Amino acid sequence: MVQINFANKEIQCKVVYYGPGMSGKTTNLEVVHKKAPPAAKGELTSIATEGDRTLFFDFMPLDLGNIAGIKTKFQLYTVPGQVYYNSTRKLVLQGVDGVVFVCDSQAEKIEENIEALENLKTNLKEYGRDIHSIPVILQYNKRDLPTAMTVEELNARLNPMGLTTFEAVASTGEGVFPTLKALASLVLESINRDKTSGGGMASPGGKATVRPAPPSAPRAMPPAPSQQAPAAAAPSAPRAMPKPAGGGGGTTTKVRPAAATRKATRPSPRNAQPAGRPTTTSRPVGRVNIKERKDASSMMLWGVVSAIIIGVGVFLAWKFNILG
Amino acid sequence: MPNPNRQLTDAQIRNSRLVFYKEDIQAIDSTLREFLARSKSRTAMLVDKDGHLITREGDTDMTEMDVDTISALVAGCFAATREMARILGEDEFTALFHQGRKDNLQLTLVGERTILAVLFNESTTIGMVRLYAAEAARKLTSLFRKILSRGESGHGSEKLAEFDKAAASTLDDVFG
Repeated sequence: MVQINFANKEIQCKVVYYGPGMSGKTTNLEVVHKKAPPAAKGELTSIATEGDRTLFFDFMPLDLGNIAGIKTKFQLYTVPGQVYYNSTRKLVLQGVDGVVFVCDSQAEKIEENIEALENLKTNLKEYGRDIHSIPVILQYNKRDLPTAMTVEELNARLNPMGLTTFEAVASTGEGVFPTLKALASLVLESINRDKTSGGGMASPGGKATVRPAPPSAPRAMPPAPSQQAPAAAAPSAPRAMPKPAGGGGGTTTKVRPAAATRKATRPSPRNAQPAGRPTTTSRPVGRVNIKERKDASSMMLWGVVSAIIIGVGVFLAWKFNILG
Repeated sequence: MPNPNRQLTDAQIRNSRLVFYKEDIQAIDSTLREFLARSKSRTAMLVDKDGHLITREGDTDMTEMDVDTISALVAGCFAATREMARILGEDEFTALFHQGRKDNLQLTLVGERTILAVLFNESTTIGMVRLYAAEAARKLTSLFRKILSRGESGHGSEKLAEFDKAAASTLDDVFG
């Protein structure tokens, strides 16, 4: 829920990146963190497992500066993608003002996308909201992969609601800012409309009222089928934020490994010092690693020790004929 | 026109947008300062359950961005605790305590929507902090009921109207 503080002349909004596991939610946030001007961004904090999967959320504050004399701040969150962590995924949605749903464009991931989208609807419902009552944008990510479905196919399966969609290759930064810009615009527009908010803005009532992205957000795609070359995102160069590498049109030829192997082979930008971070601070990007496998290892160790003790006991009993 | 006598249900309080005016923040800050003086704590932060900071008082060397991050983590902590309470059949765990070597953090639920985060060191005790935090929470709960019952009064509307117009060009500047 947007918080408005007229005493400090400040507005705070909450945006959540949602989607199935490994779809690129954290990568989106990392790109924003890397490219955002140092003065506008805070630390990127992740609560993740040892295996680098988001356990609770990733978080980063983004200060948009003064808008009409009001300091405007966005708090960007991602959720864990795994169904196993649904309880924590749901918690992050509390008070959400806008959602970027990051879809994995690969054909083999379509069912996971659908499941995650249904899960978003269910979790929003628990807070008395629905996908039409708050700004939601679909981002079709991983457009550079050879098994990526076409936009028309993805729209047909995922977007019967006619939400605004963007293509992206988050690993190169393409489409990340246009997506966030479009969502930020919808969230800020909703502030006035949502004045007497009792749980979200007035329902726009489906397709007809879904607003297109602002004219300068280049990859806003209407739900109507139209063939578009993939990964031609972000033709307009941001003024304050550097243009993501690889943007500017044309098909990206870089092919990433399939999802199953990607985790092992992709660089680990979460642990890398982002280029956009001020170099004067020695503090690393905040990251809390939860050692979830520690207990399992301890249990195994105790099992082995117990077996040895029992074995020695039986041997001694036999040796000294205690058992008769 | 806002109606100060409007009675809100707990659900309405949970779902209403938080809007604060100067007099609200002054009243909250005054309560926090009084709490800090009596409990001898270092810093008091009031955070809403969505993770947004409302106001803070006291001595701190945290940057504004650090405060934003702490606010988000405080809300996350409380959200996780609430879920545990639900599973265990409790309504809500109303207080959390994080013990450090030098500094400690005490989190206390304030009404339906907000959390009081108190940073303190060896100059006081957890008992003192809990005692006065509970008292401050009662005062703040009453304040929030008044603020939420009042709703959004008219004197911010014109500012928001200008905000709407200016938002698009600012986004162009920031995102390109």
